[in-house]
This record gives sequence, structure tokens and C-alpha cells, in this order.
Amino acid sequence: MNKRLILLLLLTFLAPVQAAQAARLIIIANPSVVNPPTLSLKDVAAIYLLRVTIWPDGSRIVPVNREVGSTERTDFTAMVLHQDFESLAAYWNEMHFQGKLPPVVQESEPAMLAFVRSVPGAIGYISENTPAIGVTVLAHVP
Amino acid sequence: MRSRLGGQNWLLAAFTVPIVFGVAAPNAQAQDSYQLGHGYDVGPFNFAGYSDVTANLPDEGRQSVSLDDLSLFVSGHITPWLNPFTEAELTDLDFVHSGLTQGGKGGGSLVLERLYNDADLGGGFTFRLGKMLAPVGEWNEIHAAPLVLSTVRPAVTYQNFSEYLTGATLLYSDASGSIPDIDLYWQPEREFSERPTSITFDEYREVEGAHVKIPLSLLDQLGFSVQRSRDTLGVVQTLAGVDFQYKIDRVTFQGEWTYSDLSGQTSKLARRREWGGYLSVSYALDDRWSLYGWYENFEKRSTTSSADDLLFGVAFRPDPAIVFKLEYLQNIGGTPVNPTGLFASWSVLF
Repeated sequence: MNKRLILLLLLTFLAPVQAAQAARLIIIANPSVVNPPTLSLKDVAAIYLLRVTIWPDGSRIVPVNREVGSTERTDFTAMVLHQDFESLAAYWNEMHFQGKLPPVVQESEPAMLAFVRSVPGAIGYISENTPAIGVTVLAHVP
Repeated sequence: MRSRLGGQNWLLAAFTVPIVFGVAAPNAQAQDSYQLGHGYDVGPFNFAGYSDVTANLPDEGRQSVSLDDLSLFVSGHITPWLNPFTEAELTDLDFVHSGLTQGGKGGGSLVLERLYNDADLGGGFTFRLGKMLAPVGEWNEIHAAPLVLSTVRPAVTYQNFSEYLTGATLLYSDASGSIPDIDLYWQPEREFSERPTSITFDEYREVEGAHVKIPLSLLDQLGFSVQRSRDTLGVVQTLAGVDFQYKIDRVTFQGEWTYSDLSGQTSKLARRREWGGYLSVSYALDDRWSLYGWYENFEKRSTTSSADDLLFGVAFRPDPAIVFKLEYLQNIGGTPVNPTGLFASWSVLF
């Protein structure tokens, strides 16, 4: 068995593991969300598509997105929202014109965590590898 | 709540040009939470708007380069019962034009577009009170230049019904989108803070109606509208309409049709019915460039022949919130509603 074949076998076994690690996300919320509901991914999608804007306790939901191009946003968009970026951008612009606020953007994992931790009603997502300290975990993706 | 602007257009132009061309956008984008098109948050309020500069070069008549719209809108989300929204705009302000100004056109007007509060009733129901856009077709509800297909608006999307209403609306929106969205609305008297006659067609009062929207996907939808109204001349209008959007890969189809039965004080009208429809096709060359076109047939109440218009254009969208459009409209029959000629626009949602 030559070196090239060994390398190919290693890549074959390692690649799915790395892909799975990158794909796993945690849905998090500010601790002010009292009696947090059990959220399905459809519920999370309804929040980010602005069809649900209020938590069961009456407080406002503040959805938070990562920046375009980040791995987390790409995975979240594909696995939870099931949409393409162009359609989502057009949709959120239309919603904004009708008075519904699109998700806030935070440009790093620590910024996302800090925002969700500090803003009442905020909901966001982080990589499963990041410790969810000071926030409430609502769901796992996938 | 509205005023005409005098001979200070160049001063206004100097002030507004940086905003309308998006000069401030790169700096704004650098801020941590700002995203072009999503406005700026201050506490529970969001400040946003859009601008639209147009070049209008019809083959006949007045040509101009103008600020078609500079709109600012503020939305607040304070409690479930208190969600105020307001939009005011500077509209129809010529930077340069040929010929004489007629009927106040091109002089600029400050208008109140919307002023309402949304109360969340729970269960997907919202009660809206104030001045708002009438939900007749999709185009009227999202009529901001950066959001719509073309610079020239098909007549059927705004000329033959009350675009605004001042009163109450009950809205239903299903969380999953599996049940149609429903709007029921009622305006008991005249419109609050009516737009100047130089930029309106008919002034309505006593407006009531309903709109049902069936979501087919995120942006695709099928809508049905009914509206009954009485205008200030005493013409009673009963309208029924259908609108849709459907995307197949890179091709998007849009259309709207309305039919109105006219009664009451109709002696000054050329006909007792008014109907029209448009069908558009757009093709995305890539995520920035697209080609589009539409055909419209519109039978206006004040003319005896129906207008046939054909439009082709190209759009460049360097950002989802910025779009440049260049298009040519050809009247191919009947009494023109939109003039034949070349039109262009540069619009920014900020």
C-alpha cells in the first residue's frame, strides 16, 4: 500500500467526521425567555422568517443572524430555513418595508453569544463546539 | 401634513444626493450590527428608508431627472399592543427637466405615507389602526423602488383603486404559512393627510375590502383582492383582483389582474367598467444582473380605448438593497397610460 492510498483512505474516513462537526449548531436564547418552549426547527424557521415575533410570555423576539459567508450562517440557512441567500435577502427587505424587523447581524461567535446573553428576547445560534455559557439552549441542529 | 416645495431644489439635491446614491452606505456597513437595507436600531425603534432617483425620457412630453422618492420610515416594537409605524417621504422633486412645470408636477411634495399602530392579539391576529397601504395586489404593499421589478409601474398596480386607507384592518398570519394570510379592512371616511392631486388619480372615501394571500414558497404567492369604495365625485367602485408570483429556477413570473364595476355618479366617465392586467417575466443572468419585461393591457374609466404597453429592461443589483434599472416602454395600441420612452432609476434601501 503506497502513501497516496493511505492518505486517500484517511481522507475518506475523516471527511464525514469533519463535515458533521461543522454542521452541528445549537439554538440559544436570552435567559429572560421564561419557561422556554420546546422549539422544533420549523418553529425556529417561523421566527427567522418573521411569522412569529412574540414569545409566549408576550416579550418581543429578537432573532440574530451571523454574517453572510460564515459557516454557521450557511449551515443554519440550509438546515433550518431551507432557502437561498438571494431569496432571503429579498424577503427580509420586503418584510422590513412592511414594518417587521429582519434578524440582527453579529459578525463572530463571541459577538453572537454576547448579544444573545445581554439582549432580552434574543434568539441565535452557535456552533456546538462553543460553550453555551449564560444563555438558554432551546434546540439542536440537526 | 404635506407641503409644496419652492425653488430650492438644488439645495435639496445637494443635501439628498449623498443619501440617495448610497454614499454613506460603506461607513454604515462597517458598524457592528448595521446591514444595508435593515435600518438602524435605537432602543425599541428602527429608522430606515429608501431613495429613488429616476431619469424619465419619454418620446413626447416632459423629460426629467428627478428624486422620485426619499422615504424615511420608523417602526417601534414596545409592547405586543404598541407597535407604531410611520413613513413620510419627499416625492416628485425634479433636479432638471425640460419644458414648463405643469400642475405642480416636479415641484416636490412632502407626504405622509403611513401612520399606524399594530396590536398583536395573539394566535396570529393583528389589529392595525391608522393610515396604511391598501392590500390590493402585492405591488402596492411593497411599492418601494428597490423592491419592485421595474421603474415604470404597471397602471393596474395603482391607478384603479384606493392605494391608501385610513381606518382599521384585521390581519391574520399563520406561523407556518400553511393557512392563507387574510386582511380585512375598513375606512369610514376620507383618507387622512391626502396626497396632493398632482401625484394622485382619484381620491377615495368609504373604502372596505379584503385580501387573501396563499403563500406558495418564501416569495411565491397567489393573492385575491376585493375592494368596494366611493370616490369624492360619487363614483361607487367594486373591484375584484388576482395577483401572483412564481419562480422556476432563474425565471420569475409576476402578474396582476383587476376588474371594477363602476356605478353612482358615472355620467362623466367614458365607461362603467374598468379592468386591466399585466404579466411580467424576469430572468436572472447571475446574482447581480437580470433581464425583465412586462406586457399590460389597461382599460381606463376615462378613455374609450384600452392601452397596450410593452416594456423591456435590464437590472443591476450590486447589493440586495441597491438596484439600477434601465428600461424602454413601448405603447403598442390604444390611449397611452404610461408614455413610450426610455426610463432609468437608481434606488437604495437603507
